[in-house]
Amino acid sequence: NKKALLPPPPLNSSARSRICIQILPMEIYHGNASSKKVNCAKITKEFQLHLDSSDDDGPEEVTFEDSKTSALRSMKEALETTKREKELLKEKRRKRQELFQKQKVGQLNKLGFSKNVKLHKKKKTNISNPFCSRLKGNYSVMRVATQSATKSQQQTAMDFIQSRLYGPGSQRTTTNQLLSLQNKRGQNKSAAVQFVNEKWAKAEQMTKRWIHKQKVPSN
Amino acid sequence: MGEFKVHRVRFFEYMPTAIRAMSFNAHTERLALARVDGSVEVFNFADRYFQEKVIPGKDAHSIEALCWVGGRLFSAGLHGEITEYDLENLRPKYSLEAYGGPIWTIISNPQGTHVIGCEDGTVKLFEVLAEGVQFERNLDRQKGRIISLSWHPSGTRIAAGMMDMIRVFDVLTGHAIQRLLVDRSVGGCKSRETVVWTVVFLSDHTIFSSDSAGKVQVWDGHTGTLVKTHQLTKWDVLALSVSKDESSVVAGTSEGTVVQFQFIAPNLQQQEKEWVRTRTFKNHTHDVRALVEIGTAIVSGGMDTQLVVRPLLEKFEEKCFASGLRRIHFPHRNLVSCAQKARLLLLQFPGQLELWRLGESDGHGKPGDILPLKTKPEKLLYLKRKGKDHICCSALSSCGGWLAYSTVSSVRLYRLQTDNNISITKVPKLPKVLRSAHQLCFSSESSYLFAASSQSSVLFGCSCLGENDCEVHVYNLQKLELHCMVPMYSSCPSAMGIHPTTNNLTMVHADQQIFEFSIAEKQYTVWSRKLQMQGLHNLWLNRDTPVTHVTFNPKNPDQILLHDMYMFCIIDQSLPLPDQKTQFYNQMTLRSLSEQERPSHLHAFKVCKSFQDLMCMRLLDDQSLVVVERPLMAINSQLPAPVRQKKFAT
Repeated sequence: NKKALLPPPPLNSSARSRICIQILPMEIYHGNASSKKVNCAKITKEFQLHLDSSDDDGPEEVTFEDSKTSALRSMKEALETTKREKELLKEKRRKRQELFQKQKVGQLNKLGFSKNVKLHKKKKTNISNPFCSRLKGNYSVMRVATQSATKSQQQTAMDFIQSRLYGPGSQRTTTNQLLSLQNKRGQNKSAAVQFVNEKWAKAEQMTKRWIHKQKVPSN
Repeated sequence: MGEFKVHRVRFFEYMPTAIRAMSFNAHTERLALARVDGSVEVFNFADRYFQEKVIPGKDAHSIEALCWVGGRLFSAGLHGEITEYDLENLRPKYSLEAYGGPIWTIISNPQGTHVIGCEDGTVKLFEVLAEGVQFERNLDRQKGRIISLSWHPSGTRIAAGMMDMIRVFDVLTGHAIQRLLVDRSVGGCKSRETVVWTVVFLSDHTIFSSDSAGKVQVWDGHTGTLVKTHQLTKWDVLALSVSKDESSVVAGTSEGTVVQFQFIAPNLQQQEKEWVRTRTFKNHTHDVRALVEIGTAIVSGGMDTQLVVRPLLEKFEEKCFASGLRRIHFPHRNLVSCAQKARLLLLQFPGQLELWRLGESDGHGKPGDILPLKTKPEKLLYLKRKGKDHICCSALSSCGGWLAYSTVSSVRLYRLQTDNNISITKVPKLPKVLRSAHQLCFSSESSYLFAASSQSSVLFGCSCLGENDCEVHVYNLQKLELHCMVPMYSSCPSAMGIHPTTNNLTMVHADQQIFEFSIAEKQYTVWSRKLQMQGLHNLWLNRDTPVTHVTFNPKNPDQILLHDMYMFCIIDQSLPLPDQKTQFYNQMTLRSLSEQERPSHLHAFKVCKSFQDLMCMRLLDDQSLVVVERPLMAINSQLPAPVRQKKFAT
């Protein structure tokens, strides 16, 4: 064991404090030549006994204040980068939303709806509907049918089962895959199945796309 | 014997629905099955797994669980109601709102009186009374949804499977006395909660649980500790069932496998028994959602829509009908009506009816040739049903001028015009008495419509007959009274027909026996007695699927035409009956023989297996045959997504 040959550390206070500092975050060591040979883990186990010995000279002097300021600085920088990223994302999202709104209006105009079409008497909806204020232009919201509480509960329950069996993480495949596997592993091995029927082929494509969307990033 | 032009129809896009729940009544030997569309079917396991009853479903009324209490059948679903079924009239008797949100499971007390409905957080006890079901009380409310329940055989404890845990309740006090924590999946997604899909409570207080992490766990119900974990699969284990003697537990997985655990001594030296994983059955391609272990077999069903009965071979001493693997794909009744004169087909779906005109061909050819079509088959009409109830039966008159269908709440009759312009007009104001029909049938001249309500079916010939629970009654139409009753036979008739000229009633039963009864003489015919004396050939008797339709050839009174899912057969009564040593499927052999040799090899049963997965076979007035096929491959290609299994070298 190499470490047994190492000379014991000089018993002066500065050396001891140096060892303590070296247990702090690794960033402090970036760019420090001699420190590259130092392994943080090793030090945490053996800090009382040994120092890195490949140099005969002692390691460079790094004062407590210096390392403290650099640590604080790096933390600040990290915080600032995350803030900036958030801002950028927000900006992106806002721009996208605006684009969609523009496109929507464009579509409606194409279809012949002018911005001034009233779907319902403005007076009524303003009182009963809190969403009115959020709509741009002269659109208004009209309730077509009342959905009872039971129906929504039923829908939630159905969504729960659907998401557990077929939702993200369910690792499903298409029926085409299943049939192809049967062909390939059967008694008389043959090629993968290809649907000639247009409807089935389309359904197959849709299922593949949906499965791709379901894939959860692995832990 | 003759050649037939065959209209080979494959445009009936019949899609069965997935099986969601099953419940076996050991006393009456009936299996009740619920499908995802809300329909309920009852199979008679004492009579060749014959599908005796079908109760159609309803929109937005799916079923999550079924249970028998004595001879009464109850179901519950996400719509929050408990429904009892009228098994005589084949409709829901009543529905009781449980006021607890969606119901995930319903189970009955071994003592036979309590029925539990279970919803978002509460376990509710209901008392089963003679006239209905009555709310008794709630057990302590829990914070999560309750997915599964199991009674302890003594009726004092209930185990409830929830999210990430199992709770054991004391029924008397209503408090939760144990909490068993279920681990989340190993590796994989740790942030997803584990759903305990099923729990089973045994009499020695052992609890079996199956969950969405693919585990089956064995717990000690007294101490609340985990005894053993079996990791079966990385997908969900959706179903569990315990045998009556509690020596075997079976689990159904999303991969389509059924795994058996048995309570046996693991090796010869040891005297102590424990739960050991023994066999694995792979009979399904998709998720197994319903499972029942009945004495001698394991019955499973799931997303691949077929009902599989897998016998446990160690329970059989010799090979018999019950020791073979059975798959039930198609319903044991007709979904296709045919207008023989007008050459029209009426296809019945749960939500609509489709009327098609068959194509025509002028060509001639040798047997096996495909003739070119002059006109293609044409869809004339798409009739969507009114209301939420699914269609239970339909009929088309022979001339093609009348169409009728029935749901559990109404019967509708329409006048049809199909010559040049297609038109359909509803016949208003049908008699109030006719609220719903279990079977509809038009008379041959289209002058009468017969509607059978309650558990009976009706046929028309020169007389009319009704069948009720294996009893066949013959009625005289002129006098409108009962003419006679056919002697009782132990097996249910699966198909019947009245000969147009001889007025003989031909009946084929679920056990494949054939009888011919003379209505005029009120006794079995000579031919029928001869057939019974000789006995039917073994290959005929061992067929898997029942005969669903019997019809006759107006040009040849000796012929009886019938079909099941895998063959159609023309019985020629003028030919000798085959004995056990005769080659039964002899059509190919006959073709290779010379004209002189043939007569000595002929026998009465001419079976044709060229057309498979038959839903219907009829003889049209112009002597051509119509066969409606629904290839199982077509059904399998449109099933929902199965789990993804990586296999080496594929």
